[in-house]
Amino acid sequence: MPNGSTAVAATGDRPDAKRDSYYWRLVATGLSFLVFGIGQLVLGLLIFPIVRLLPGDTTTDNARARALLRRTFRLFIEFMRCTGVLTYDFGGVARLGKPGQLILANHPSLIDVVFLLGFTPSAGCVVKVELWSNLFTRFAVASAGYVSNSPTDLMIEGAAAALAGGQPLVMFPEGTRTRPGEPLHFHRGAASVALSAATSVTPVYIDVNPTTLTKAEPWYRIPARRPHFCLRVGADIDMESFRRMASPPAGSRAFNSLLLDVFFRELKLAPKDERGPPTEI
Amino acid sequence: MYTREAIVEQVRTTLFQLFEIPPERVTLDARLYEDLEIDSIDAVDLIDQVRRYTGKKLSADDFRSVRTVGDLADVVYRLVQEA
Repeated sequence: MPNGSTAVAATGDRPDAKRDSYYWRLVATGLSFLVFGIGQLVLGLLIFPIVRLLPGDTTTDNARARALLRRTFRLFIEFMRCTGVLTYDFGGVARLGKPGQLILANHPSLIDVVFLLGFTPSAGCVVKVELWSNLFTRFAVASAGYVSNSPTDLMIEGAAAALAGGQPLVMFPEGTRTRPGEPLHFHRGAASVALSAATSVTPVYIDVNPTTLTKAEPWYRIPARRPHFCLRVGADIDMESFRRMASPPAGSRAFNSLLLDVFFRELKLAPKDERGPPTEI
Repeated sequence: MYTREAIVEQVRTTLFQLFEIPPERVTLDARLYEDLEIDSIDAVDLIDQVRRYTGKKLSADDFRSVRTVGDLADVVYRLVQEA
């Protein structure tokens, strides 16, 4: 894939000039949504019910559904790559998928979760409660046994149970997609789970250039250039020092602050003092 | 064996230990979320602390009705009376 082709100077075009088969990408983006929706309905109405008929308890059914979802997410990513919707590289994938591993990622675009779940074996995920009432996502989240983000106490219990059951678990500490131009902010829910239940904590840094499918724009407002998704698996964060702190809230606050520093550094964001109001009490 | 006063005092101690909230701010009508800035994540840690103190699990449903320090003392008091 032609990466590093972000330099526009060569052609002398304006940076916002529509390039990289803009109109085809617009069609293919719409097609991707269609394929995703149909895929989810087929899984939900046909495949998952069959999976539930196979021998085994709910835990087994959930694990099978997660394995199926992983494959379909991978197919979906390749569909988008082959149709030219996006390019990507994912560094360090081999370090994802350990039992009880908490995977913490920033959340620049709608499809980050598709990458993380597509590349992490048997992964669970904390997803927002609204997905249980969305026609195109309800079957996946219910069949896979993903954890709802609300209410908070049940989220923490559910996440802890998933990790204890050996699932790698994906969480987005931002809670929702980043709004471009607004400072990065992490909720402490992920920190609390990291402290109390994870066997290892692994950050994944996601950089999408140019940004696409953000919180602030509808699907058809695609970028002028083909977006490149760059995902990097970072080094595990050692939790021992945070677990030894005087109280769990003190530990989770200190961890959250460190986590934010790490993401700022790795994503080369604006310095600390521009990150908005402090979360300290 | 627990008086309500002893429970309020324990709440003060706990809030100081967990969140370093000065005991003088912990009045009976101080609201946990608005006045003492305890968020939903803190609440989970707080419920855990109640379990350690009383040996019983405070249900999240009970905790949802808690607004003030006085409410918290009340539910803990009821919890220990149930024995």
